[in-house]
Amino acid sequence: MTKFKLNRRTFLGTAAATGAVLASPAYLRRSYAAGGEVNIWTYANFVPEDFKKQFEDETGIKVNIRLVDDQGKQFNLLAAEASNPTVDIVTVAGHRFLQFIDSDLLAPLDTGRLTNWGNINPVYSESDWATINGNKWGAPILSGMEVMAYNTDVVDPEEAKTWDTMFSDKYAGQTAYVLQDMMSIVMLKMGYDGNMVAYMDDPEKAAAIVAEARDYLIEKKPLVRKYYDGGAEVQQMFVNQDIVMACAWNGPIAALMNDGFPVAMSIPKEGSYGFVYTYNVANNAPNADNAYTFLNAILGSGEIGAAMTKASGFISTYKDASQYLTDAEKASTSFPEEELANMKFFRAEANKMKYELVDPAVEEIKAA
Amino acid sequence: MTRHTRLVMSMIYWAFVLYIFVPLALMVMMGFKDSKFIGFPIRSWTLEWYIGVFGNSEVMSAFGYSMVIGITSTLISLFVGVWIAVLLNGRGFVGKGVIYGLTLLPALIPGIISAISFRIYAQLWGVPPGTGAIIWCHAVHNVPFVVLIVSARLGTLPKSYLDAARDLGADPLIAFMRVTLPYLRPALIGGSVFCMLISFDDFVRSFFLGGYQPTLPVLIFAKLRSGMSPEINAIATVVLVLTALLGIWAERTTRRLKKGY
Amino acid sequence: MSGKVPSGAAALAGKRSAENQTNDGRSFWGALAGSDLYQAFSDALLSSPRRQFAILLTFPLVWVVTQHLGPMLQMLYVSFVEAYPVAPGYEQSFTLDNYARFFGSAIFVMPFLRTLVFSATLTFATLILTYPVAYFLARHVKRSNQMIFLLLLLIPFWVGEIVRTYAIMILLGNNGAVNLALKWLGLVDRPIPFMYTGFSISVGIIYLSALYMLLPLYSALEKLPRSYTDAAADLGAGPWTRFWRITLPLSLEGISSGSTLVFLIATGYYATPVLLGGPSTTVFAETIAGFFHAAGDEWPTGAAFACLMFVTALAISFAFGRLMTRLQKGVRK
Repeated sequence: MTKFKLNRRTFLGTAAATGAVLASPAYLRRSYAAGGEVNIWTYANFVPEDFKKQFEDETGIKVNIRLVDDQGKQFNLLAAEASNPTVDIVTVAGHRFLQFIDSDLLAPLDTGRLTNWGNINPVYSESDWATINGNKWGAPILSGMEVMAYNTDVVDPEEAKTWDTMFSDKYAGQTAYVLQDMMSIVMLKMGYDGNMVAYMDDPEKAAAIVAEARDYLIEKKPLVRKYYDGGAEVQQMFVNQDIVMACAWNGPIAALMNDGFPVAMSIPKEGSYGFVYTYNVANNAPNADNAYTFLNAILGSGEIGAAMTKASGFISTYKDASQYLTDAEKASTSFPEEELANMKFFRAEANKMKYELVDPAVEEIKAA
Repeated sequence: MTRHTRLVMSMIYWAFVLYIFVPLALMVMMGFKDSKFIGFPIRSWTLEWYIGVFGNSEVMSAFGYSMVIGITSTLISLFVGVWIAVLLNGRGFVGKGVIYGLTLLPALIPGIISAISFRIYAQLWGVPPGTGAIIWCHAVHNVPFVVLIVSARLGTLPKSYLDAARDLGADPLIAFMRVTLPYLRPALIGGSVFCMLISFDDFVRSFFLGGYQPTLPVLIFAKLRSGMSPEINAIATVVLVLTALLGIWAERTTRRLKKGY
Repeated sequence: MSGKVPSGAAALAGKRSAENQTNDGRSFWGALAGSDLYQAFSDALLSSPRRQFAILLTFPLVWVVTQHLGPMLQMLYVSFVEAYPVAPGYEQSFTLDNYARFFGSAIFVMPFLRTLVFSATLTFATLILTYPVAYFLARHVKRSNQMIFLLLLLIPFWVGEIVRTYAIMILLGNNGAVNLALKWLGLVDRPIPFMYTGFSISVGIIYLSALYMLLPLYSALEKLPRSYTDAAADLGAGPWTRFWRITLPLSLEGISSGSTLVFLIATGYYATPVLLGGPSTTVFAETIAGFFHAAGDEWPTGAAFACLMFVTALAISFAFGRLMTRLQKGVRK
């Protein structure tokens, strides 16, 4: 997720410079708005096919989906269309709200219009990141967590209880992680706040912490097989047996488990980070009313949430989604309570400071 | 050439073919795997993925869309590229080197930068994102390749051919159409294949300059997010076969047309 | 194919033979050249060499300036500004900091040099690997079959880069096809870790580059008159001498354009090195892309770095081109 940070200045700038000139296809907008339609930018499998069909039949609203493959591109697209977007609903990760909101790309969510808002587990809907400037900005739909994934044929579950195993000589050349994400986790493992919110008034301390984490990862560099980027890569490395252990998002690993691979995941005792995907209504959305109709419908029942989990491998934010999952599916998308207690959500407040420190550190680790 | 060298040469050729085709064979094979992931071991086989591709209008329309973009942008690149190549292979003039350098520019700019700068630049010209913008960007990007390939061939055109045509009273345009262009035919074919390939494979430019309709690589990237599945391998295989069939059909047609003369 | 050319010229004089395939062409072109309208056009625009040249020059000039230079200038501009895109109300200011950052520390210079060395090495490897292939195609395969053989080699390139790269992963992985085969043959007990090394990147990139090298080489070798080598053989030159003294020098043109193409493209490869590379094989394109994807306020730095890479790569290919021209001149003497 760390890939997607852009700070306020860039956001505003991008929105203004590209947006003003790029938003021109007015004829497109009109044709979309004329019929009963709702335009959605989201990831593959985030709108279940069956639900979509049923929704279209019942309401007569046509659902247009444009697939996106990461948050950064989605942002660039939205910024490019800013002030007159062609889209009604976008899919933003919770810790990226701040930046979207600062650039006026999202409209505050009127939860009063969503009779099914109560179907969301309050852990997600009322969490610290969910309310910004006194408003709610999105409906949480799926959640992802940074987990320690391991091949159960090789690694003992006991070993997976601490991040230290990842850096032990025993598994030299058989581990992989995303560097930016690992930086946050190493800081957490060292007892610091990986979100850096605690050091917002103390930039020197923040710099020292990042340097410490950087030096640790440079020292451990000979032990790692691959700094990867995407979920598909880590899956392939497990399948090819190039690695036996990785730090990964739970979604891709859950998909591997459901396909019968000998992989398991844990949240180590030092803790880990998670994030939430939300559906958001774009600012000045052409079909805002239809967007609310759609959101209310998709929040309608735990069954829909379960369908989204099955298709994507992410954890459902719906209160009663788990009763529609098989035991295997539950195992791949749930964690013991004591492990969940170690979870923290990514937060955006200190992102500017954090990534001004972390990005150069990542370059230095790669070059070391 | 002795029979010995000939044998060695053909062995190298077939080794190269092997190198090129083994990954391809793996790709085709994995499309039959009954699992959500590619890789060994393959425990059971299925036709489901391949059948799925044909039932999937999304994939087929993305394929068609990519074809349209590829063909159109290739035609533009050929026209522009040949013109520039003729200029650069003609007599010397002040600033020739500069034009040569400028010609190569688009090939050198990294994709992401080219895509973003082009999106902003397209707007200066009032071109909205969509099919036209993608075609334009692909065409510009491919011009340098056409110039390089055509120049290599043009450099070997014996001057006497053109001189003969001129002596016989042809003006430069007619001499070009009658002498140069036919001589360039292999380079034009090579150049077109090249441009089509690059356009067909391009993700980043298509993504930034495109609208709601995905090109094939854009669709595949979206699907890749949930893992490199046999489905993607099946799509790639079907596209490969379709393209090969189209190629054979095009070759046959041109041959027949030529015979028709 | 080159055989048609003289016939084209001859056709204008009406000396063409009956079986020449361009029969219809003559009447069309003849009619066109004879028509008043075309005459007027020709007189107006093509009558003097100066006018001809002006016409020839205008379109390419306009095209490269508006289409090629325009976006590039945009990038150059961005590389010198403090923030981009700039928020309304802010004053844009120019700076050299973006460039200074590159020279400021070894963390950027390293991947930069690595990319140059790597691209040059791979270009050479691709040349060595594809030259015999192109040679075989152009000289040993029957002319009517050449197109088929060539197309055979081009087929795999219709598969997207990503899909192909994943296929290479399942070829070279610890549990991949090669390791399974080696194990089955009893040659190894433990899998050899091919993946995420310089080796796996090379396999992936040569795959990508081969096409760019093959086509120019083939077209250079294909037109090399066989009579030259035959004559040399008659004079008693051995195969090695014939290759060294005739074939190689006369294919320098193809080598030159193929290598330039591959080198330039190789400096910009992104997806393949990222997917197949290891922790210590970061290429410069990855660094540049990082400034555009990941880092927030860093477009200007990314643009500056891209400009640096671009100027360097261009300078190297320019020097290379000079060298090749000199070699070719030497050959002609």
